[in-house]
Amino acid sequence: MSIEVTNVTKKYGDFYALDDVSVSLPTGQLTALLGPSGGGKSTLLRIIAGLDTADSGTVAIEGTNATRLPPQKRNVGFVFQHYAVFKHMTVAKNVAFGLEIRKTPKAEVKRRVGELLELVHLSQFADRLPSQLSGGQRQRMALARALAVEPTVLLLDEPFGALDAKVRKELRDWLRRLHDEVHVTTVFVTHDQEEAMEVADEIVVINHGRVEQVGSPDQLYDEPASDFVMGFLGEVTRLGPVRLRPHDVEVATSPGRAGAIPGTVTRLLRVGFEVRLQVQLGDEFGTGAEPVSVVLSRSHARSLDLELGSKVWLTAAVGAVTVPAMIAV
Amino acid sequence: MVEVSTPVKWLLRVLAIGYVFLLVAWPVSTIVREAFADGLGTFVEIFSDEQAVNALTLTVQVAVQAVLINLVFGVGISLLLVRYEFPGKRVLSALVDLPMAVSPVVVGLSLLLVYNGRDGWFGEHLEKWGVQIIFSGTGMIMATCFVALPLVIREVVPVLTEIGDDQEQAARSLGANARQTFLRITLPSIKWAVVYGVVLSLARSLGEFGAVKIVSGNVANQTQTATLLVEKQYQSFDQAGAYAVSFILAFVSVLCIVVVSILRPKEHSK
Repeated sequence: MSIEVTNVTKKYGDFYALDDVSVSLPTGQLTALLGPSGGGKSTLLRIIAGLDTADSGTVAIEGTNATRLPPQKRNVGFVFQHYAVFKHMTVAKNVAFGLEIRKTPKAEVKRRVGELLELVHLSQFADRLPSQLSGGQRQRMALARALAVEPTVLLLDEPFGALDAKVRKELRDWLRRLHDEVHVTTVFVTHDQEEAMEVADEIVVINHGRVEQVGSPDQLYDEPASDFVMGFLGEVTRLGPVRLRPHDVEVATSPGRAGAIPGTVTRLLRVGFEVRLQVQLGDEFGTGAEPVSVVLSRSHARSLDLELGSKVWLTAAVGAVTVPAMIAV
Repeated sequence: MVEVSTPVKWLLRVLAIGYVFLLVAWPVSTIVREAFADGLGTFVEIFSDEQAVNALTLTVQVAVQAVLINLVFGVGISLLLVRYEFPGKRVLSALVDLPMAVSPVVVGLSLLLVYNGRDGWFGEHLEKWGVQIIFSGTGMIMATCFVALPLVIREVVPVLTEIGDDQEQAARSLGANARQTFLRITLPSIKWAVVYGVVLSLARSLGEFGAVKIVSGNVANQTQTATLLVEKQYQSFDQAGAYAVSFILAFVSVLCIVVVSILRPKEHSK
């Protein structure tokens, strides 16, 4: 295991940012720490990097106990949400920083910086100042800077959080490809489940300072360990006694199936290739109960000939992931 | 921006300009006029008068040393105030502002009480060791440091706060130790604030009067600075000399401010 976090607790006053967290992150993988804001995931990342210290517990990196090591001795690369670029240095100087600190010979620094700028597609910007770059370019520069010192682990704190949606998606794909090329153990923090599902080999879900579940994206999606994980990893709706994903609700226009629950379509919204429905169930399921959300493909919706006010019968699809609905609504 | 009607705009402009003119520009310009009343003659006299040259040299020596000391401690205290949490931080922050509020005469008196050789708290012991603070350069430098202390700090603190510690943390994670981080990251980022603070301190230190007067003893050719000389000349009816030395003091201070305002815009255009 590349990173071993054992029984780490961190308190800010009375607030537990991390409450007895233990987690092992495997070598060479791309791991996401996923959870809502304020859940403790960034704190965990900063403790791994040595930028914060844990109140108790230990951190080991590649078998070395790093708990008491200052950040500069841990050989980790850290990429900050707001890039933390060195504003007074050119792009090339930024990338060269770690190498120069290590007294690397000049020719070697030049060669490495050239390679890294090539890797992050910033070669033509080498002599610019960071203020002349776009957000995405700055973040790529920050990444090259972190990779320059050949870290044992690369840690990214909400790396794409400050970028707009399109750039974020591009960088996300690019990070995945980069990782396949460079193979450095990488941990990134995100609150965006889609980002985590798309990029990571493994996801650690953190909430309220505790690890909720660890697993591959498929495992988390298909076998959520808790109501929270299920809810956080995708949309969830309630159908009678169970909670399930909106696309796992089967819609029929006649009461054919056993256990089908009747309702009326109260909203119908087309978004691209999918159709989203809100179905209000009959009075016997409690008036004022939240309507059921359903997602269908556009062609499916068309074949059912659905419109506002259509009477429909809902069932959970065969093999759907369900968890019992909590009593309180 | 609030839209203001044209007459109001002009009224405000006239008020502001008139205020500054009556209070600053006119009085200062009369100094210039009086100093040059005999052409350059007075200045030739000043620079050949041993007492005046000694006073000006002493002023520069005291000011430069005080500024250097304040530079080191000012940057240090700023880092302490912005980057660290410790009990008594607010007290320290308030103490730093104290010299702005307290009259320099009071500063001089308090230094006198602590360091004088006869009954001062430390003065007696220091004098036994052969260290004299009051009526010597050391005391004058201390008094000047005291009054100019907030200037560097109040320039540097907001800049340090604004840049945050992200860049410093990044440098640490890239392997830089505390010294390397300070020299390569922090210092270049606060460079202009430091320069501005230093120039302000220098201008302030050159013009210090009250505190220095009390601790120096005002001995001609030994502990008499330029400002003290001006007062003495004025009181002994050597007004021409007083105006000329005043002009030199004012000129250096204005020069400092001009240099800074030329440097300053560069920082923003970056």
